[in-house]
Amino acid sequence: MGSTLRKSQAVRQAPGGAPPERRSPAGGFFSGLTSSEQNWQFCLYQQEMLLPRLTLYWSGNAFILAPAVMITGLFAELAELNRLVGNHPQLFFSWVSFLLGGAPKLREGQREAAAETSQPVVSVRKKQIGDHERTLKAHKEEDNPQKTMEVNGLTPVPDSYDYDLIVIGGGSGGLAAAKEAAKYEKKVMVLDFVKPTPQGSSWGLGGTCVNVGCIPKKLMHQAALLGQALQDSRKFGWQFTEEVEHNWMTMTESVQNYIGSLNWGYRVALRDKKVTYENAYGEFVGPHTIKATNKKGIEKLYTAERFIIATGERPRYLGIPGDKEYCISSDDLFSLPYCPGKTLVVGASYVALECAGFLAGLGLDVTVMVRSILLRGFDQDMANRIGEYMKEHGVNFIREFVPVKIERVEEGTPGVLKVTAKSTAGDQMIEGEYNTVLLAIGRDPCTRKIGLDKVGVNINEKTGKIPVNDVEQTNVPYIYAIGDILQDKLELTPVAIQAGRLLVQRLYAGATTKCDYVNVPTTVFTPLEYGACGYAEETAMEKFGEENIEVYHSHFWPLEWTVPSRDNNKCYAKIICNIQDNERVIGFHVLGPNAGEVTQGFAAAIKCGLTKEQLDNTVGIHPVCAELALKTVTLVGRQVKTGIATGIDLPLMSGLSGYGHSPALAGVFEEESVKEKSLWPFCCVVSLPKATWPLSNPTRTKRPVADLPRLSPPGASRSDGGKEYPELEAIHKDHQGPTPGPAQNSPKSGTRVEFKGFSLSHTINLI
Amino acid sequence: MAAAAYELLVLGGGSGGLAGARRAAELGARVALVEPLRLGGTCVMWNTAVHAEFIHDHADYGFETPGVKFNWRTIKEKRDAYVRRLNDIYENNVKKAHIDIIRGYGKFTADPEPTIEVDGKKYTAPHILIATGGRPAVPADSEIPGASLGMTSDGFFDLEELPRRSVIVGAGYIAVEIAGILSTLGSKSSLLIRHNEVLRTFDSLISSNCTQELENTGVDVWKHTQVKGIAKSPHGLLDVTVSSAVPGHKPTEGVIRDVDCLLWAVGRLPNTEGLCLDQVGVQVDPNGHVVVDEYQNTTRRGIYAVGDVCGRALLTPVAIAAGRKLAHRLFEGKQDSRLDYENIPTVVFSHPPIGTVGLTEEEAVAIHGKENVKIYSTSFTPLYHAVTQRKVKCVMKLVCAGKEEKVVGLHMQGLGCDEMLQGFAVAIKMGATKADLDNTVAIHPTSAEELVTLR
Repeated sequence: MGSTLRKSQAVRQAPGGAPPERRSPAGGFFSGLTSSEQNWQFCLYQQEMLLPRLTLYWSGNAFILAPAVMITGLFAELAELNRLVGNHPQLFFSWVSFLLGGAPKLREGQREAAAETSQPVVSVRKKQIGDHERTLKAHKEEDNPQKTMEVNGLTPVPDSYDYDLIVIGGGSGGLAAAKEAAKYEKKVMVLDFVKPTPQGSSWGLGGTCVNVGCIPKKLMHQAALLGQALQDSRKFGWQFTEEVEHNWMTMTESVQNYIGSLNWGYRVALRDKKVTYENAYGEFVGPHTIKATNKKGIEKLYTAERFIIATGERPRYLGIPGDKEYCISSDDLFSLPYCPGKTLVVGASYVALECAGFLAGLGLDVTVMVRSILLRGFDQDMANRIGEYMKEHGVNFIREFVPVKIERVEEGTPGVLKVTAKSTAGDQMIEGEYNTVLLAIGRDPCTRKIGLDKVGVNINEKTGKIPVNDVEQTNVPYIYAIGDILQDKLELTPVAIQAGRLLVQRLYAGATTKCDYVNVPTTVFTPLEYGACGYAEETAMEKFGEENIEVYHSHFWPLEWTVPSRDNNKCYAKIICNIQDNERVIGFHVLGPNAGEVTQGFAAAIKCGLTKEQLDNTVGIHPVCAELALKTVTLVGRQVKTGIATGIDLPLMSGLSGYGHSPALAGVFEEESVKEKSLWPFCCVVSLPKATWPLSNPTRTKRPVADLPRLSPPGASRSDGGKEYPELEAIHKDHQGPTPGPAQNSPKSGTRVEFKGFSLSHTINLI
Repeated sequence: MAAAAYELLVLGGGSGGLAGARRAAELGARVALVEPLRLGGTCVMWNTAVHAEFIHDHADYGFETPGVKFNWRTIKEKRDAYVRRLNDIYENNVKKAHIDIIRGYGKFTADPEPTIEVDGKKYTAPHILIATGGRPAVPADSEIPGASLGMTSDGFFDLEELPRRSVIVGAGYIAVEIAGILSTLGSKSSLLIRHNEVLRTFDSLISSNCTQELENTGVDVWKHTQVKGIAKSPHGLLDVTVSSAVPGHKPTEGVIRDVDCLLWAVGRLPNTEGLCLDQVGVQVDPNGHVVVDEYQNTTRRGIYAVGDVCGRALLTPVAIAAGRKLAHRLFEGKQDSRLDYENIPTVVFSHPPIGTVGLTEEEAVAIHGKENVKIYSTSFTPLYHAVTQRKVKCVMKLVCAGKEEKVVGLHMQGLGCDEMLQGFAVAIKMGATKADLDNTVAIHPTSAEELVTLR
């Protein structure tokens, strides 16, 4: 506070009075005024935005306006003054001393104008405008402030900004940046404002992650996992007689209470760090100048040397009849005051699948309507496995349809909605009734209504995203942007936090570290959790060439799932290596419980340049899922030897997967006459007889599972009920290996096996 | 069968022996395995107890769970079935790898070439691997009257019913795990420890936090306490006489009555007595552990040892890794193939679980000097407990050394720490520095993200 006062005083005490060329940027609208006149004008302009109590002083006595102006930089504090006066007596006294400090001499014109009906009276470029109303009118008719400023060739004077930094948006990224800047004793303001959803949901400080994102979704995912745990616990010996029911309201209230405590915590943290917080909508109105509009519609203007845009994104609507009226989005779901009932989730984003997953886990009838693919941007092999698992756990999928109309059939909480959808492939129309329709088709950046055009910040017209350089700077040098609104960057809380912190450290602490958007780990809290770091298989192929990458993979069955004997062969780990670079790990993917916790450490290792060999040399921890991720089999047959070295390690795991016969088949493979360079189906076949293989590579997509029914020993248990795959025929030929032992039902080492049924024919040797 | 038919003889069908035997067979060696008993052993019980904890939290997450009871038999049957299946799988794998199983106890003979005798039959091979493992120690009755009335962790897994009143003696990880399981499942449990904290070889953060968590979960921890004697009471239960001696105070004696499960978890002994190691000049230390070098060589050429029998890092994956490394050295000509015993990650399935790798703070200070060691630590309540009344904190400590702040140790206890550890162990093995961790973007919201955001 004190420093601001000094700043204002410095302006006033400038030698030789206020030099005409020394202008406050705020005064730019009325250029040509002396600094004191500017202050007058600025005050006037701000009149509407001041608190009623302050306005009283104004209209009561025009003479005390000027000193009040001297503390324009303190508007935020003044706004808080009513509440905080007890906390900030020094501020109050400073202000009072200004009031008593005497008014500047009035100019001729102003004295004349004292006869005007309403005070104060304003002159611009020595031309009298008139009272408050006339001035406002004049202002509106005037050129916009930016233009005026440009025309006059004004350069802003850093010393006279209200703030060093204004952050627009109080989400994870914005708050991190603001608090970091406060650490370097910068004067910082955060503007945060949540426009209510069409259904009227709104929330407190902290942004999407805390209020309507990561935090509530993980807690609700946890609730669903506990439901699963209850079922499992019977097999673990727990007995409960009655049916267990889930109460939506109990859960939602607990979750909302927790979020409330976080909102409060953020406010306290800002106050502790002396960051000014305004619950107001920020909008650029001119260079270095922002307008903040609060809930009551009261507007204030603030100037700052720099700005960080961290406004984030909000859910997209379909733009069809009935969508905004009747549908909810993730912005509404976590605080929904009633159980959503039978739900249609529209979309296949991670938001869609996570919400569908936990709603189904809580026992609701859930359908997901998907336009094309699941989890665009993620490894498609993993995405399809997630979808497969959800399907098996009761989530319905309608593929290749999009809603065209939503109608209300019945009111209520929840009511009944009729959804009409159209096929994306043809003209087929379908209808369905649901209690709730949740839209999760994507998110749009909040960048179109914050006055970026006024200051000339470029956005991608199509997506609304803001392009920035490698130091998060927009095309307007003093304006930066972080978080979900950035073009071609990741939409993740920790990325926004990291970007915000590093940006501020570069701005104010002379640091040079840039935010690294490569090898960022992430997790998706679908019922089968997914953790990933680095490249997806298809992107890796694209970037490095199929022949230059090696993919290791394995299925595993977490120990804790064996007792309830569920979902064997569902958990999956995959590691993508760059052959050209010492088999450096460039992609890590894992599906299984606690995938996020598992992935974090591997991400750190990848950051250190992890290679496959180093991974192999690490001792496993027994028995945890992460251990299983270490034991990966080869997928691509060309690098057969490597694959085998690990492949043969798999007995325990394959055994856990419920395939007593797999280890028998795992052996050293050698291509004999391979017409296609890859041996993958057979490695897959041999170590993982049941796997469906939805690889993304078009030539591999939907190729039938290669199973070897004849090679399985009798009595081997199979979760797919021993389904036959007639497309494939495995012919057992030429026993050339050592004399078979007694209990050998499967091919020995050295057995030559021929596979038929593909468009090509492979012969491989098990040696 | 001709005695010279084999290139490798493995004594003991535990994890280490199996791994070595199978890897050697894969590399083309003719292998035989000498094992008198079944294979296996798991920690399924721990999961059961985790469920017990979760059930306490269900109401907070909106589930209405009426009257919950626990049935020990169900879980025991499941566990036994699972272990049997593992046994079968192991056995199948061994057969499929063309490894001969020789049933019986093997011992060395006085023949000039190292030779094993099993049930009167002699076998020999240029390479012999000792992987006979260890067994829980029980004090002698002469030392503590009635000591043999107690059981060990082996007996624990054979219990038919959940004990009502349990006394566990010991402060190691087995004692901690079993006390946690029994107590969480509803057995009134006392843990008797000789000093004031459990897990004293772990980092101080872990020993103090784990002791506290045991007490929080309702385990009655008797500190500075030793068992004086055990007597069978008239109703067939046990009365355990203990003496507690807090330093600076007079020792007090007490009796814990009506105990139906007294469990010794006071250490493990190597299975070396019956092997007649002296016949072949394999040296053992005063505790009976086989003395080996870093390549698993014993003092006799051609004889090696891995696993618990060596008394070093008593962990299944260590034995497995050591067995495999040895096979590569012997049968693939990889002269330098050996297990690096540094930075081996360890998990203790306490409640909540413990994950630890590398040096403790004390060790780091001793090696690098106090001024060269920097500690980062945190304590927080995981998001899981955000809405539950039961709050269990998670503690983490990163031990860094030198100017570049290389991470030399990681110690943590909390929900999910078991799964978190593996990846970090890889990073630490690779020589990660604090800066490397800082440069790793967090995964939100997880507990693991705390490790890359420590300040």
